[in-house]
Amino acid sequence: MLVLRRRAGESLMIGDNVEVEFLEINSQSVKIGIKAPKEISILRKELQVVQAQNRFAAQPVNLEKIAQSLENFKIDSSSAVLPR
Amino acid sequence: MPSLATKYFGTLPYEVGGRFRFPYGIPGYEEEHAFVLLDVEGNRPLLFLQSTAASELCFLAFPILVVDPEYELAVSFEDLCSLKLETERQPRIGAEVLVLALLTLQPGRPATANLMAPIVINLRTRRGLQAIRTDARYSHQHAIPGVPQEVAC
Repeated sequence: MLVLRRRAGESLMIGDNVEVEFLEINSQSVKIGIKAPKEISILRKELQVVQAQNRFAAQPVNLEKIAQSLENFKIDSSSAVLPR
Repeated sequence: MPSLATKYFGTLPYEVGGRFRFPYGIPGYEEEHAFVLLDVEGNRPLLFLQSTAASELCFLAFPILVVDPEYELAVSFEDLCSLKLETERQPRIGAEVLVLALLTLQPGRPATANLMAPIVINLRTRRGLQAIRTDARYSHQHAIPGVPQEVAC
């Protein structure tokens, strides 16, 4: 991994046409701006993780077998609030 | 009354007003903007988040407090704005928002719940989204010991 030190207002280039500018820096977070061609996809990494998990979660399941195991869950009525 | 084709329960009657709107869809399914929550007798606390447009898209979920009674929300400022909730504090689970953990129950894998990215629905506006946490407090693959692997499918 390449590690660089940059200050607020400075930027860097990735290849010829992706520019990353460091706009604001504080102790908790960094605000960055990215200039890139439209065809380059930019995603927060956690979004990619959630997308993959959702696609996996949406696969068909065997409901009968799952229903058998539900008895293991004691239901607290306050936690299972459902709208009408 | 209109009817709805579901993934697991055939065709069910439903009221259009019972839909939840997801303006940005759900990551991986960004084009799906309307879901209903099916609370089918005998399956509690399991709930089914069924797309109204795509019958084959249905997530299994637990109310998040069933998975972790101590769960604490950390909905981002942007997500609170999008849900039209107060931005100075976290919403109250059950009173202001419905919070679900999506489940992954696949054969040969431990049953898990996604606590890193709960489904959060504003009960007043019926608007929802998947609120991805940016801290590392909860896992997207939180093991659910009550659902043993061998009965997961």
